[in-house]
Amino acid sequence: MLETVTLSKKQRIKAVKQDKAETKYWKPWRTTWNILSLVALMAAYAENQFVPAQELVNNGAYKWFLIAYFIYLVVVYAVGSVIHGRIRVYSGHFAQLNTILGLLLVVQDLITEKFAIIKLPFFVSFAQILDQIKTDQKLLIASTWSSLGLWLISFVIGTLIGVILGLFMGRYRQFNYWSFPFLKVIGIIPAAAWMPLTMVIFPTSYLAEIFLIAFAVWFPVAFMTIGGVQSISTDYFESAKTLGFSEFQILRKVVIPGALPNIFIGIFTAMGLSFTMLVISEMIGAKVGLGWYINWAKGVGNYTQVYAAIVIMAVLFSVIFSFLNKLQEYALRWRKRSN
Amino acid sequence: MVQLTVQNVNRVLHDNAGQRINVLEDINFNVNSGEFISIIGPSGCGKTTLLRLISGLDQPEEGQLTVDGKPITHPDVSRGYVFQHGSLFPWETIKENISSGLKAVYGRHYDKKLVDHYIDLMGLKGFESAYPHQVSGGMAQRAALARSIVLRPELLLLDEPMGALDAFTRADVQNVIQRVWKQTRTTMILVTHDIDEAIYLGTRIIVMTPRPGRIKEIVTNPLTFPRDRTSDDFLKFRRTIQDKLNFGVTEN
Repeated sequence: MLETVTLSKKQRIKAVKQDKAETKYWKPWRTTWNILSLVALMAAYAENQFVPAQELVNNGAYKWFLIAYFIYLVVVYAVGSVIHGRIRVYSGHFAQLNTILGLLLVVQDLITEKFAIIKLPFFVSFAQILDQIKTDQKLLIASTWSSLGLWLISFVIGTLIGVILGLFMGRYRQFNYWSFPFLKVIGIIPAAAWMPLTMVIFPTSYLAEIFLIAFAVWFPVAFMTIGGVQSISTDYFESAKTLGFSEFQILRKVVIPGALPNIFIGIFTAMGLSFTMLVISEMIGAKVGLGWYINWAKGVGNYTQVYAAIVIMAVLFSVIFSFLNKLQEYALRWRKRSN
Repeated sequence: MVQLTVQNVNRVLHDNAGQRINVLEDINFNVNSGEFISIIGPSGCGKTTLLRLISGLDQPEEGQLTVDGKPITHPDVSRGYVFQHGSLFPWETIKENISSGLKAVYGRHYDKKLVDHYIDLMGLKGFESAYPHQVSGGMAQRAALARSIVLRPELLLLDEPMGALDAFTRADVQNVIQRVWKQTRTTMILVTHDIDEAIYLGTRIIVMTPRPGRIKEIVTNPLTFPRDRTSDDFLKFRRTIQDKLNFGVTEN
């Protein structure tokens, strides 16, 4: 205890971060694996360059991707082998995975464009997907922004409605009595079932899409929030009362933070549902967005474009996921770590 | 000067079978300003129930509790309450916890120096920005004590705040409580099942018996301050209290 006090705040934060990194990224640094992963990437490049292709593909984008990947690994390993910090922990942990990824790139390239074991138009090489993304970049960037914007508005609205309803239903018995039966019955309906109606009822299809996505979100969030509020120990409410908290202060300083762990469980459940509804509603009603792009590509029979949209979704949704994860980590920083 | 009056108080609960249980029966006593009252008795004698009635968290079925003549109807900042497990808000740092009551009552312009003063007095310096799960049980209890005392209550109710602590930490928190009591002259009521603790801290000791919870006797503590836990007088008085507590047990 005393030792930690003598450290400066900066040093302490650094030590804690290093500690956290080592528990999370537990595979130890092995120079062999680091070199192997570089070899695997070089093999991927060489294979793509020298094995004759059976399908006509522009490999330019793929090669740049491999070079960028290679340079990234070289930099990370160079830093890691000199400085014993978080980068070393991180790169040591992922060296094996990177090696396998390099080999997978070789394999997928061989069975698609090189030997055509699985064929066009339904199976394409990663090189083709990257080339497609490069060709369609303007349209894809616009689609991605559009999807992200739609998702963000709808998700925030759905979450806010869910949290507010959940807090009130969890805290006030009267409110719960009059609203919970409706929540149970209405919330359980899959948002997709409302689709034909919303397309007619709402003045614009954009509003209809917002409604559908928000509808998929509010129920799990509200449901988990109610449980969260009800799980707060009465001790906290009672000490708040003896400390002179008003009802509003109890809501703000006891109910909300106390329910927050559960609210986040609801948010993460809702996140998956919201992605599904985003793609479905864009496929049906929209003139923009990644869902629309997929539907359009299907119409013209270009499955490479479908793959391109899927790859972009994988990246976009992963980024959203890790952002929400970071948000949760920060908001619940007061919690005891379980490991 | 009489401050708290407890008159003919009965607390009646019903069990699952609908059977009437007298948790507290015919409780009568007065507390004068500046006293330190220890309430001692075996578990199930209704000590905590009584303390909750005094705080206003619960209401008695019969009888009346008054502070300075005014009946107690709800919890109030003038009556601080330290729970057995501290119940610091786990989502607030130690410092935020200690200032939470002040912020609630006085808004943003509360007396920040007062908070620092009690952080110092309770030996919590260096741990202001730690979260409750990161500090020891003794520190958490001292912080909980600071959180209540910083509001300058007229009456501080302590519900076995040392119950979950080990012997060394317990003695340490006892000394802190005594120091605060002497410095602030706050009237305190401590519920405990530890005889030494009751004697070490209390100016008067209320001995209770269980089923139904009644006051067996109210004993004035003859010991002067500073008190020595190993002195002959202390041990002799301890024996007196022990005998009063054991009465019911030997009878069975």
